[in-house]
This record gives sequence, structure tokens and C-alpha cells, in this order.
Amino acid sequence: MTAVLAVQGLTVRFGGLAALSGFDFQLHEGEIVGLIGPNGSGKTTFFNAITGIYRPAAGGVRLRDRDITGLAPQRIYDAGITRTFQRLRLASALSVFDNLMIGNHRNLDHGLLTNLLARRRLRRQVEENVDKARALLARFSAALARRLFDPVAQLPMIDRRRVEVCRALISEPQILLLDEPSAGMTQEETRALMDDLLAARARLPTLSVVLIEHEMGVIERVSDRCVVLNYGEKVCEGGYREVAADPRVRAAYLGED
Amino acid sequence: MIAPQRPVSVLPALAAALLAGVVVAAFLALEAQWEIALLALSLVVGLLISGRFGLTARVEASSAAFPRAVLSVTALVALAVAAVLHDAHFALLMLATVALYVTVCLGLTLQFGYAGVVNFAGAAFFGIGAYTAAVLAQRTAVPHLLLLLAGGASAALIGSILILPVLRTRGHYAALITIAFGILFRTFLEVNDALGGPQGLKVPGMRILGWEFNDNLRLGANAEVSFYFNYVVLAVALAATAFALVKRVERSWLGLSLDAVRSDETAARAFGVDAARWKILAFTAGNFLAGTAGAIYAMIAGFVAPASFTFGDSLILVSIVILGGSGNPLGLIPAALLVVVLPEKLQAIQEYRLLLFAVVVILILRFRPEGLIPRRMREYFPGWRRW
Amino acid sequence: MDLGIAGQYLLNGAVLGVIYAMVAVGFTLFFGVLDVIQFSHGDVVMAGAFTALAAFSGLQMLGAGSGILAAVLIALAAVSAMALLGAAVARWLVLPLRGAPPLNTLLITLMFGLALRESVRLFYPNGSNPKPFPRLLPGEAATLGSLSLRLDTVLLIAAGLGAIVGVHLLVRHTRLGLAIRAVAQDAETAKIMGIDFGRVVLITFALGSALAAAAGVANGLYYNEVNFNMGLLLGIIGFSAAVAGGLGSLYGAILGGFLFAGLQTLGAIWFSVPAYKDVFAFACIIALMAWKPTGLIAEKSAERV
Repeated sequence: MTAVLAVQGLTVRFGGLAALSGFDFQLHEGEIVGLIGPNGSGKTTFFNAITGIYRPAAGGVRLRDRDITGLAPQRIYDAGITRTFQRLRLASALSVFDNLMIGNHRNLDHGLLTNLLARRRLRRQVEENVDKARALLARFSAALARRLFDPVAQLPMIDRRRVEVCRALISEPQILLLDEPSAGMTQEETRALMDDLLAARARLPTLSVVLIEHEMGVIERVSDRCVVLNYGEKVCEGGYREVAADPRVRAAYLGED
Repeated sequence: MIAPQRPVSVLPALAAALLAGVVVAAFLALEAQWEIALLALSLVVGLLISGRFGLTARVEASSAAFPRAVLSVTALVALAVAAVLHDAHFALLMLATVALYVTVCLGLTLQFGYAGVVNFAGAAFFGIGAYTAAVLAQRTAVPHLLLLLAGGASAALIGSILILPVLRTRGHYAALITIAFGILFRTFLEVNDALGGPQGLKVPGMRILGWEFNDNLRLGANAEVSFYFNYVVLAVALAATAFALVKRVERSWLGLSLDAVRSDETAARAFGVDAARWKILAFTAGNFLAGTAGAIYAMIAGFVAPASFTFGDSLILVSIVILGGSGNPLGLIPAALLVVVLPEKLQAIQEYRLLLFAVVVILILRFRPEGLIPRRMREYFPGWRRW
Repeated sequence: MDLGIAGQYLLNGAVLGVIYAMVAVGFTLFFGVLDVIQFSHGDVVMAGAFTALAAFSGLQMLGAGSGILAAVLIALAAVSAMALLGAAVARWLVLPLRGAPPLNTLLITLMFGLALRESVRLFYPNGSNPKPFPRLLPGEAATLGSLSLRLDTVLLIAAGLGAIVGVHLLVRHTRLGLAIRAVAQDAETAKIMGIDFGRVVLITFALGSALAAAAGVANGLYYNEVNFNMGLLLGIIGFSAAVAGGLGSLYGAILGGFLFAGLQTLGAIWFSVPAYKDVFAFACIIALMAWKPTGLIAEKSAERV
């Protein structure tokens, strides 16, 4: 299996504190890897470092054969890595369609001519994208697809999460980083979201996913493999059962005996 | 629900435009204070009632569905009002001022309503355009139409330099810089004798292709048209163009990117939006509009002076944007009319207008932050819905 | 340059620095506690000065209008009045807008500042003209060569520093200060810990505004003149100083205040046109912000990704 993402010795510091320390990580094409660990162990920091929000103090990130260490968030997105956020970050005053189109930024035509004068061309582009957006949403929820032009503010939490995930998927990325998608949702809703995600992934076989989660049930069901972080360092990795039984992991979550 | 859009008629919007024209003409023509106060009161009551019965919503939906028709009719109504008041110098001057303010506020809407870049130096950029036109008109033979472009360009240029240091920082830094600029602009002008100092500069009237704007027109034996009429036409033309432009920006991928930057910059950047670039584009474009309007203002007023471009004036412009409903260009028109015309006509409140506006804006922000005419969900094409 | 004149500039700069620092501390407190920029703060300084002026008229009518005692009394009047005003602003303008985009709070406080300015201009007797502020501090001066060391200057610097140190001690070493710092760091957790969030915010705003009133009185006593417009520039200077020092940091605000005063003094020395000293100082601050966007002492980072 090809390594789509190769992270070596990644270190992120805030002042004197190392939020991430010498982290090695590999993601293979088509995998779903769960990233788990107690609060503050560096999981979101890891996402932020890959996506260019934080500059790593040391180490490197490679996307296939390209070095993407320390690139700006916009370049990371162009390269094909998208994400969701722990704290839902949607434009709540805008419609579902608008939010999805923000995710589709690199496929949109931003020329002045098209947008201001050649309105017929723009209309065609808008209509094509409406079809595309509706099709993607429908894979998650037919009801949501019908609310394409509703403001996001009017949607329940589960639908907002769906919109956020679709926003990350609409540009057909290579890698999807999911940051605690189950936060704020019931077990039922989480299950539904994960089912949709797996179904969506079936249509994008080259999509690789890194999933940060606290809900162990989700990790167990969905991930091919897990990596455990604690205090910014990798504790262990392997299949879920393996990792769950590992005494170091228990110590990390429950404290040393 | 899957449902076809109910067809929206253009009539409510047209009716509203005509009615507005009549009301404005009445306001401008009346002289007696009690008559004006009565009219103002009836207007408020009328608006409240129509709001209650959903009429304002109908008008809004209607104008959103037929933007081109409504824009042309509104411009025509404005010109008609000007024609009706053809010999009232001051009334025409006010109309022209309203149109110019609407243009500046359209620029502010781009910056603040869409890109989220706050600009408390609107009057300063207006002033830059005015002074540029003044200096060039006095000292060079640049054709007057080009002076408008020059005014816009210099305002845009200075604005982009100003905003550069704070592009990558949080919102309040832009506020800081523009407030400081807004306050210090006047000081800068007053101490510069090359720019006329506190007295300012005289500006010759506009002349396009030999047509002298500052001459009254004679129509027949009895009718004389005030020279201000020329400027009203020019100002309304500029406002209409700016309006169409800003509307189109909003209804396009450009407007979407701006909204993304304003809503959540971190998320926008995570999806490829170059926030700094969009902010500077919006800021520059907005200032261009302000500068162009300023150039026309210089020629209407016949002179430019530091006292015309104070921080208080910038705050008035911001009040218009908030009152109208930041992000909705349509609301700017009634807001600008209220803010410019009312204090001029109701002498009693002239002195208190800044205080009044401050209180009104505070109340709006506290109780109805969407403003007079709240912004609607983006409709890329008017009256269009795909289900 | 003559040492005496240099000394004069230095002293002048010191008084300005203390005044600016007092205003800046207010800004930083408000930002630290609620993440808000209170743009009416400068006008609260002005309102404080005018309250003191009004109190002075009252004292005069009672025949007690002279000397340091009068100065202290009117300062107390100003400080208490502005503390109430600050709390009112927090209660009715700022707290209700917590859920709205931060720009709304900025706007509403800016407009409130405008309302304050206009109210004083319109309703204070002869408010649109500059008004003389009473000379209440001792006028003695010691002469050291060409340097005239005025006693009132020294008193003002001392009082101002005292006020700042007082606030600092309060924030660092009292339970109230602990509550303020807790809320500033993490409001949610503070609430869970049982801290009365609303009360802390009100008290913080009262505190910052009280300090602003003190700055206003100091300004009045130093220049012997106040006018309704004085708050505008002072506010923007205080804000820049707080930003340059690092919003949210008390030390940063003090540092920023003196930094701005120093830049202004340099500008006054270098430029023959007095107005340019402000332009120069602001230009430097803006350059500083471009270089260090989070301020000299890092701005409290409120953003969690």
C-alpha cells in the first residue's frame, strides 16, 4: 500500500511546552486511521500542524512524494488535504450550498469577467455546482439535500456536522482529517454519520481518512488502525483491539496505577 | 419541502419606488417645520404598519427578484424627483449628496458588510478623492471626467497602503488604524498649506466636453433649471453603477469568498481562500468608490476644506451602513435619505444629529442588528431557485 | 540639547506616559476579561474630567474650592461616577451583545462614545468650548539649572503610578483579582468554579473606567483645560498603547503607554509642526504592529482552533 501521508519526527512547541514531540505517522491510501489519546495529548495540534495553522519546530510532512512541511493552509488545501473542526466552523448565516461551495473553492472560477459580466457562464457554473452539491448531500441525507438553500443556522447539530463533512469532501480530496465528528451528538446520530461516511468513502476508494475521536465505539467500528498519543508523544499503534488492551494506553487514559 | 417558487411580481417594488419618490419630493419641497415633522411621523407609522402586515417583506422579495428593473426605475424616480424640484437649489444639492453618500456606503458595504474589514475613515477616503480632484483641477488640465478616476485611484492606493500592515491581524487592528487615520486626516490637511490649510482649496465646476455644469439651464421663457441638476444626474448615475456592481459581486463566487473571510477566517483559509488578498481587494475597491464620489463632491461644493471630512462624518457613514442593514445595499437608500435629509429639514434636530444617530445606532445594534432591511440569503440569480 | 530642556521633555513625557498607561490599562482589562474593545473608553476619560469640573463648581459654591483636598475630592467624585458609568456600559451595552459578532460590540461602544461626546458638547454649560480646569495642585517649582521641576508634575506622576500599582496589586494579590484573572483566562471554567461571571465583568468595567476618570482628572490638572473632544485622541492613543504592549497584559499596557508618550516626545522634538508628533507616534506604533502583531508582550490568544 502506498503511503499517502508520511510524517517524521514532527515537533510543535508553544513557548517552552512541546505539544507534539518527535511524532512519526504514516497514512496509507484508502485507510481510515483513528487518532486517540486523552485531552491535550496533541491530536488537534497534529492536524493544525499538517494543515499549516501551526509551524512545526522540527520534523517533516510529506504528501506522497511532495514535501508539504510548513506550507500555508491554502496550499495544503490545494494539495488535496481537507478537514473538519472540533468546534464546528461553518458560516451559519450562509446557506448550506454556500458553505459547501466554500469547500469547493479551488474548482470555482474567480475571474472578474465571469463573475461580473459573463453572467450566463456563471449561471451554468452555479447550476452545475448545485447538482454536485445536492448529489453529495443526498449520500448523507435526502432530507438535508432538499434544504440546500436553507441557512445553516436553522439546521440541527447532526445536519450541521454533515454539512461540515460534505464541505470537506466536495473538492474530492486525497486526505480527510476529521476532528471529533461525534462531539455534541447522540450515539444514534454518530452512528448515522459514520455510516454515511463509510458509504461516501466507498465511492472514493482513494480517500484516506484520519479520525480523531473520543468515542471508542466509533474508532472500533470504523478504523483500520489506531495511533495513540499522550503528552505529545506516540504511545503505541496497531489494530483497535491490540491498542485497547495495551497497558500503556490504559495508563495514559486512567493514570498510572 | 420540494415546492416550486411562488412567482414574485415586480409590482410591489415598483410601487414602493414610486411612493418613495413622492415622499422624498414632498420632504424636500416642504418648508414649514410642522409639516415636515408630520410627514416624518406619518412615514414612521406607515413603515411600522407595513412591516406588521408583511408588506416590506413583499417589497424586498420583489426587488430581489427583479434587480435590473428596480434599479432603473429607482434611478428614474430619483431623476424625476430632481426634475420636479428643478429650481430648488438646496433640494437638488441634498439629492446629489444622498446619491454620493449611497456610493460611499456601497463601498463600505463591500469592505465591512462582505469582507468584514471595518473602516472608520470613510469620510477621509471621500476627502482624498475630493482633494485629488481639487488639486488636479486647479493645477493641471486633466479632463474632468478623468478627475473622477483619479480621485478613486488615489483613495484606493492610500487605502491599500494603510491596510497592509494589519491584514494578517484581527479585526480590531483594522479598526484602530482606520480610526487613527480618520481622526488624523483632518489634522494632516490643516497643517499643510500646500493643500490649502484650514481654508481648503477652491474647485472649479465640472466641465464635460464643453458642457459647463455650473451654469443654470434655461428651458423656455419661464423655466430655469438649477445647475445642481447636472450633478444630480451624474451622482445618480455613479450610484446606480456602483449599486449594480456591488450587487453582482455579492451574487457571485466573489461575494461568497468575501463572506467566507468575514464569517470564519480560519475555516476559509483551510479551504484555500487567501483571506489577506480578498480583504485588500474589498478594501481597495470600496475606497475607490468613496474616492470617486468624493471627486464629484468637490465639484458640487466648489471647494474642499478639512472641516468637511471629519471623524464624525466617518461615523455618520458607518451609521448609514448599520441602519440600512450591513450587507444589504438596498437598505442604504432609505438610510442615507433619513440621515442626510431629515436633519437638514427638521431644523430642531440639526444640532443634535450626531447624538441622535449615535443613539439610533446603539438601539439598532442592541435590538435589531439586522438593520432596516436585513440581508437575505444569497441568490446567485434573481428569482431563481433550483429544487 | 540643553540638559534642562531635555529634562523638561522627559518630565512631560513621564506625565503623558502615566496618563496613557492608565487609559491603556483599562483597555487591556476589558479585552482580557471579555475579549471586547471598549471604544468609549477615551470618552469616559473626558466624562471623568468633566464630572470633576462639575464637582469643582459644587465645591466652589460651598466655599471649599481650593488646594489638594479639593483635588482629591473632585477626583473621588469623578472616579465613583465613572465607575458606575463603566458598570452600566457593561450591563446594558456590552454583556447583552456577547453572542453577536465582536464588531458589533466595537460599534456599539464607539457610538456610545460619540453619544457621550455630543452630550457633553450640547448639554454641559458652554460645553462646545474648551473649559479651564482649576489649578488645585501646589504651584511651587524647584529650579535646577534651566530645568524647572514643578511640584504638581511630580505629584501627578506619583499619583498616576500609585493608581496603576494599586490596580496591579488588586489584580495580582486579591481574591477579586484572582476572579478577574480566572475569567480572563477561561470564562467557562471560571463559571463552573462558581465565579459570578456577570459580577466580575461589571467590576472590571467599573475598575477600568475608574482608572480612566483618574486619567481624565490628571489630564485636567496638568493642562488646566478640558474640552469635549479630548477623549477621542486619548482613547485611540490608549488603545494603540495597549495593543502595542500586548492586549490582555497589564505590563504591556503600562509599557505601551510610556512607549507612546516617548514616541510623541521624540516627534515633538524632531518635527516643527506640532501636529506631526501624533502622526509620527502612530506611524511607529503601526510599524510595530506590523512587525509584532500580537504586541510586545504577547496578546492573550483567545482563539482555539
